[in-house]
Amino acid sequence: MAAPRIWGLWSFCCRGWSRVLPGCRLPGLRSSWPRGPLGARPLSQEKRATETHFGFETVSEEEKGGKVYQVFESVAKKYDMMNDMMSLGIHRIWKDLLLWKMRPFPGTQLLDVAGGTGLAWVLGDAEELPFDDDKFDVYTIAFGIRNVTHIDRALQEAHRVLKPGGRFLCLEFSQVNNPLVSRLYDVYSFQVIPVLGEVIAGDWKSYQYLVESIRQFPSQEEFKEMIEDAGFQKVTYENLTSGIVAIHSGFKL
Amino acid sequence: MRTLLRGVLRPLRAFRSRPWPAADVPLRATSHGTGLLYPEHIPTTPLQKALLAAGSAGMALYDPYRHDMVAVLGETTGCRTLKVLRDQMRRDPEGAQILQERPRISLSTLDLGKLRSLPEGSLGREYLRFLDVNRVSPDTRAPTRFVDSEELAYVMQRYREVHDMLHTLLGMPTNILGEIVVKWFEAVQTGLPMCILGALFGPIQLSARNLQVLVSKLIPWAVQNARRAPCVLNLYYERRWEQPLKALRQELSITEPPMHVQGPA
Repeated sequence: MAAPRIWGLWSFCCRGWSRVLPGCRLPGLRSSWPRGPLGARPLSQEKRATETHFGFETVSEEEKGGKVYQVFESVAKKYDMMNDMMSLGIHRIWKDLLLWKMRPFPGTQLLDVAGGTGLAWVLGDAEELPFDDDKFDVYTIAFGIRNVTHIDRALQEAHRVLKPGGRFLCLEFSQVNNPLVSRLYDVYSFQVIPVLGEVIAGDWKSYQYLVESIRQFPSQEEFKEMIEDAGFQKVTYENLTSGIVAIHSGFKL
Repeated sequence: MRTLLRGVLRPLRAFRSRPWPAADVPLRATSHGTGLLYPEHIPTTPLQKALLAAGSAGMALYDPYRHDMVAVLGETTGCRTLKVLRDQMRRDPEGAQILQERPRISLSTLDLGKLRSLPEGSLGREYLRFLDVNRVSPDTRAPTRFVDSEELAYVMQRYREVHDMLHTLLGMPTNILGEIVVKWFEAVQTGLPMCILGALFGPIQLSARNLQVLVSKLIPWAVQNARRAPCVLNLYYERRWEQPLKALRQELSITEPPMHVQGPA
């Protein structure tokens, strides 16, 4: 299994990355997933159990994984460039803040899920990680958990693979707390982002999905409760850029 | 330049009088059955159309291989002109039939075997020869997405699919010189802002010699023929495959080009 190689790699070069790190990709691909107990606050509680959202569309849970996969297949080529264009480079600051909060040191066993364009990686499913229990000191997921079909399962998996004392850190788009910023952010999201997607990447629909999926994600408080439901303690969150993104943190104690 | 800008801006101004949803209302809320006018439709606000027009124009100049950007530019700036074209088609008996029956020129609708068996010099045979020699396919035309009317979206699609017919009629290859000549013809015939912009900005990349030939011979010829010919969108090409190309050119008052333009580089 590639994991020991990743651990070796990570314990060697733990400090000073400025980019998202490798880890598992392609969440939610399994279509024949046996139904486990749902978390106390599943996102789809308002809808029938087999349906969920894909942006503002309603789709079956089986479909969602495949549709998300297609989105990321489509955006992969220009992923970093589009992130820079859409956030004017600010996404790098957000990710730096996440790393600063983490304060990794040589020897830290870190797992970064939905790693994007990172270094060495392991292919897997965030809802069923190919790692044993109690393996990692830190689990991070940056702009990934929003796309997982069953967020509660991903959180449970995060809890499982962390060592006791381990830390869960999630950087994700969240709800804006300032009405003026919120208005500007909405205009920018819905009017500009899909246009950027079309002009730069020739792909309107993936970026439309992106801004819609942000609106569908639970608020800071709701997500905090979901993390607590997965067994994490001392769960806190910190807003960045008026709540456009938030870093949630929890510990497995 | 100012008149050009006005030509581009005029269609945009027309939008302001219609009631549009507030800027932050997510448009996709309408796109699940209720707001889509045709399968490929992406509804857009006036602001989005303006941003798309500007962005696609810039990107098309920056990266000439982004043909999709030229298509987007056409769709976001052509609304008023498409209406004029549609009305013109309605008034013509053959054009009205096209609007009614909505024929499409694509590999799935063309009977290539039949076209190949047609006599030399016929429209169908020459069109096929054009596709083979220039190594193009009718299926590379992007579907219309940003036009907010199903009928006008068809008119735009028809214009795109007829483009290759024009190459055949005018005897122009698909290299940059040939494309510019066809764009001038289309600009005069259709008045689409995207054609006008393409006709004016396309020559920027040409060598001095080509530019000289273009300006002194080819453009005047194209413009003259475009003014004389009836609207090329009113031709039901699919019913004219057997017609000799020479006869069709005569019918449209299209003369031979003043010089032979070399095939694709």
